[in-house]
Parts: sequence; structure tokens; C-alpha cells
Amino acid sequence: MVKVTTIVFKSIKNLIIIATSFFIAWQGFASELTKNDDDDWGNDDWGEEAISPWRFSGFTEVGYGYLLQDNIVASNASLSEITARINLDYSHQSFEFVSKGELIYDDVISDTYWQTRELNISFSPTESTDIKLGRQILTWGTGDYIFLNDLFAKNWQSFFSGRDDQYLKSPSDSAKGTWYIGNYSLDLTWTPEFTPDVYLTGERFSFYSPQTKGIVAPAEDFHVQQTNNAQWATRIATNKNGVEYALYGYKGFWPTPVGITKNSALQPSPYFPQMNAWGASIRMALAGGLFNVEFSSYSSIEDHEGKDPFIANGQNRFLLGFEREVFKGLTASVQVYVEQTKNHDELVAHSATPETEVDENRQLLTLRLTYTALQQKLIYSLFNFYSPTDKDGYLKPSLTYRYSDQWSFSGGANLFWGDKKHTFFGQHQQNSNAWLRIKVQF
Amino acid sequence: MKYLSPLFLLIGSLFSLNVFADELTDANEIINKANLAAYYSADDGSAQARMIIVDAQGNKQMRQFTILRKDQADLGNQNILVFFSRPTDVNGTVFRVVKKVKNDDDRWLYLPALDLVKRISAGDKRTSFVGAHFFYEDVSGRNPAEDNFTLLKTDDDFYTLKAIPKDKKSAEFDHYIVNISKTTFLPMQVDYYNSQGKKTRSLAVLKTKVIEGFTSVMHSKITQHNDGSYTEMQFRNVKYNLGLPDSIFSERSLRNPPKAWLK
Repeated sequence: MVKVTTIVFKSIKNLIIIATSFFIAWQGFASELTKNDDDDWGNDDWGEEAISPWRFSGFTEVGYGYLLQDNIVASNASLSEITARINLDYSHQSFEFVSKGELIYDDVISDTYWQTRELNISFSPTESTDIKLGRQILTWGTGDYIFLNDLFAKNWQSFFSGRDDQYLKSPSDSAKGTWYIGNYSLDLTWTPEFTPDVYLTGERFSFYSPQTKGIVAPAEDFHVQQTNNAQWATRIATNKNGVEYALYGYKGFWPTPVGITKNSALQPSPYFPQMNAWGASIRMALAGGLFNVEFSSYSSIEDHEGKDPFIANGQNRFLLGFEREVFKGLTASVQVYVEQTKNHDELVAHSATPETEVDENRQLLTLRLTYTALQQKLIYSLFNFYSPTDKDGYLKPSLTYRYSDQWSFSGGANLFWGDKKHTFFGQHQQNSNAWLRIKVQF
Repeated sequence: MKYLSPLFLLIGSLFSLNVFADELTDANEIINKANLAAYYSADDGSAQARMIIVDAQGNKQMRQFTILRKDQADLGNQNILVFFSRPTDVNGTVFRVVKKVKNDDDRWLYLPALDLVKRISAGDKRTSFVGAHFFYEDVSGRNPAEDNFTLLKTDDDFYTLKAIPKDKKSAEFDHYIVNISKTTFLPMQVDYYNSQGKKTRSLAVLKTKVIEGFTSVMHSKITQHNDGSYTEMQFRNVKYNLGLPDSIFSERSLRNPPKAWLK
């Protein structure tokens, strides 16, 4: 009974805090509405703009999301935060300095903390070389919400909770060099200390545990053995008559803790086993739309033969995608993705729970529909994942309204479903949530 | 060569004065000259631009950007880069186009927050350019091969032409009427009509300026007639024949904008 009272009290407190911040945001918005400038161009004297090498900007955002089903996690709120972002950049003839950080009051974990999103310097030591050093966001590959050769850190907690898409990419402290030779470019990234994904821990969202054969939310009790060795990633890319070709390589670790330690003296804990990968992609215009194909082969170094039930097997990943405008304002894209587990027979033969092991060829189909209206100020978006082999799916609808260059409002949901508790999306059924965000730029 | 170019310009303008004396009667010739004047001035160019977007309720939005352009050939393919600086949430966003006369354009958008080079499908040329009333096609130029032109009339100042899309399904309008200046060949007013003959959308050039011998649009406006919403676009720092290297029109410039050419 005491526990229920605490939860109720906490929920009420949550609501009051978030309602207050929405109210404050609304007040600001309302005062914006009553502002009236006569001159179309405002007071902005464009002709005599002072050019400063410093550039300052930022935003404040309030977000609230609620779990739609009973879940075993501590908070019923999937998102409950206020973010104050500050960007400060400096542009010099010979280098660029970028810093982006945010102060976050996160009520789901009852914490206020600072997060440095980017802090880097970039320069070109020779005419055909670019270097970027420091905390940065790294992205490549052709998939849409599906990643094959992009093994840079992702934030799945953000993705599941309805934060802005930019937070799906998590920063890493890296050095990136790019060399340009004719029509070719060679990228090499070095992350001295491996940066994993921001994976689910049970703090915000629950997940399936093969050990307990059930849904768990261990939160602080989820101890993952960290890795501080380096990871490397490389890409060679070119563009011939509008057709983009790329080759990729990766040396490092699985981005999520898909291994379990076997030191008999210690409690077994999840860790990041070594993983190498190589792959290729092509992207081109086709039939009035865009076509992309990508392949990647993952080698699970510590479990080459796939016999170790405590370490994930290697995989071959295949992706085909096509996108085009259906009619004015509506763009549709489809993707077909297959994740083939290497040595699947060995995996099943050595597994303690063969009945819950993934299909040898896990299939995934995605559909994205984007409709823009009101001069692109209103964006309807629908993204659907569906797996015929896992019989599960994940629907992400959202609506974004850009009221002005300062104010935007968005709402949406993350809806998971599945026949079984152990499949990729099926395990998240109780994590289904709806969310709302208000953002003001400055 | 630098000293020679003003001379060439002088000869050029004498020549065009001469042409002016004989009125043109071929609609396609007029359109080609208009296309050259509006989108192919010099071999390359740069300009700073800003747009104000005003919706039916009077709400305003602003976009500010710098454009770099280089022609592969007059009336031929072009490379275009657009670097956004305002509003703050689009600062660092870069739009890259390879405009192709015979095929669909290749287009990319770089989103710095995700470090993402997003390719954009070619089909939607007649959709809004970053929320403005200008379409992508208004910014980079509609391919004259898409329309059939007839010369309606010629007066002291303008050639007035009617254009009908060859593929009616490819555009949201039925036809458009364009007034092309007889002296500069710039299209000064374009009115788009629907199948009921109602004017739906208009583009007007409000101000031009001769820069390095090229008459350049400095201020233009697109109006949506059904609700009175509009976008105005202004240019400054217009420059021509900068000698932009081909190499800057590549993916590299998305992540690492060529600062030397953006001043």
C-alpha cells in the first residue's frame, strides 16, 4: 500500500512539474502571438549586419510521455524532462570550433545533469585532408532507422521515448580524418575508448531476459562490464554520374552488450564482445525516386563458429530501399531488410533456450509515409516496422507543427506489438508510449 | 584577360542592342534567352539571399542562405550549393543540387545535427523550397523542355508568352503567362493559371540591378492568390565569374563548407 501511495504521489508530482513547464511555455507562446511588427523584414538591418566569428544559439524544450500499458519500470512516464540547449561556435579562417551542450532536468530518473553533445575542432591540414577532433556525431550508410555499416553509437532510449530524431545519434569522442583523391574520399575514424549505444537498462524501459525467460527492468542492478579499448571505422566513397558507391570497414565491439562474461569467480555480467565488420552500399536515382542497397557482414570474433551460447553469432545484413513522392506533399519509402545469423545450426544446438532463438533469416519490412501541409509547417509522419518472421512490429506516428521560426509543437507515439515476449519488438509491448513536446528556439 | 573582359562586355551589349532592334518572333528563342538571363549569367556566381515567408494569417518566417552556382555549359547542367545560416535551427544545413537538363536532378540535404547526408528523391520539383512559396524549380530554373511556348504579344517593353506543360500531370497549373523584358530578357512577371482559367500563383520581379554587366534580380515575390500568402526573396553581394573550382561541388562541402567562397 505504501508503495502504491508513493507511486501515486510521484505521478502527481510529475504531472505538476510538467504541467507547469507546459504552462510557462504556453505563456511565452501567447506573448509571442500578441507581438506585432509592421515591417515585413522586422528590425533586422540586413545590409549592415555585423559579421562576428562567434555564433550563439540554442533552444528550450519541454517533453512529456506516458507509458500506455502497465509496466514493471519505476516510472509511468517514458519522458518527462526540460532541456536547455546552448550552442556556441567559433569560425576562423583556418579552423571551426563547435560546442553544443544541454542542461537537462529529467524527472523519469529524478536527476539534473549536463550533457556535452558536441565539442570539437575541425581543420584542413592539407588541401585534400579534413580532420575533426573531439566529441562529435558520426553517421554514414544508406538505411532509414536501420543500420548496417553505421556502427557509431545510437541512443535507443531516446528513440523509444519520442525525443527529437537528432538524439538517436549519440556522440562519441573520436578523431576523424577524411582524404580526398580525385572523385574518391577515404574516411577513417578512431574512437580511443569504445562508445557503445545507449541501450535499454530497465530504468526507463523493460526488456526480455533469456536468463529469466521473462520481462525485466533491472535499472541500477543492470551491471554491464565496460570496455575501454579503441574502435575503428573506415569508408571509401565515390560518386559516378549520380550513383553513390561506398565500401566500409569496422574493427571494435558489438555496440550493445550481447555477450555474458564467463569468469567463474565473478557474477556473470553482460559485456561487449569483439566484433569486426565490412560492407558496401549503392545509392542512386531510379524510376523517379531513390533506390539504395546495402550489405554488411559482422564477424563475432570471440565466437567464430557460433558455438558459444553466451556470445552473439556473426551476421550478414542485407537492405534494399526505395523512396519516391506519391503525390504532391506525400513521400513514401519502403525497405526490405534481412538479418542472417551465421552458423545458425550451431547457435540452436548450443542454446539453452533454442525455442526463443532468432530465425536464421530475420526479416523486417519498413514503410515510411511523410505528408507535409501548410507550407511544410505541418508534418505528418508514420514509420512502421513489421517483421514477418518474428511476427512483431513497431509503429511510430508523429505530428509536428512549426508555428514560427521560434516555436514548434510535436506529438506522437511509439507503439510496439508482438505475438511473443522474446522477439525484437515483441518484448517492448509494455514500453508503448505517447508523447508531446514544445520547443522554443533562440 | 581581366582587362579584356569589360571590352567584351561592351561589344556584347552593343550586339544585344543590335538584336533588340530586330524584334524576336520565335517563342523558343525568346525562352532560351530568358533562361540564360535568369539562370546562367556568367560561368559561375555567388549571392547571399534571404526570404521572408508570410502565411495567410500574417505569421512570418525567415530563411537566410548563400548560394554558389557553376555552369557546366550555358543552358546545360549546373552545380548548385545552398548554405543555410538562419533561422538558428537550420544553421549549417546545406543543400546540394546537380541540375541536369536531360535527366532528373541529383539532390542532397546535409543535416548537421545528425551528420546525415540525406539524398532527396527527384520527383518533387514543384514542392516548396524550405517552406517558402518558391518551389525548388523556381530557385534552380524550370527546364524549358517541359513546356510548349507560344508568343502571345509583343509591346514596347515585353514579350508575352504562354507556356503549356507537355505533361499536364507533371505540374499543378494548367498554363502560365510570362512577361519577358525585351532589353534584359529577364522574366519580370509570371502568372500561373488553373484549368478553370483562374490565376493561382504569381511571381513578380520587384528590383533588378546591373552587376558586372549582368542584369540581376535583387528582389522578387511569389504570391499565392487563394489566401494571399506570399514569400519575398532578396539578394545581396551578388558576384559573377569568381572562378569557383569544380571540386567544391561535392559531398565534402556539405560537411566542410568552402569558407573562402562564402564571404
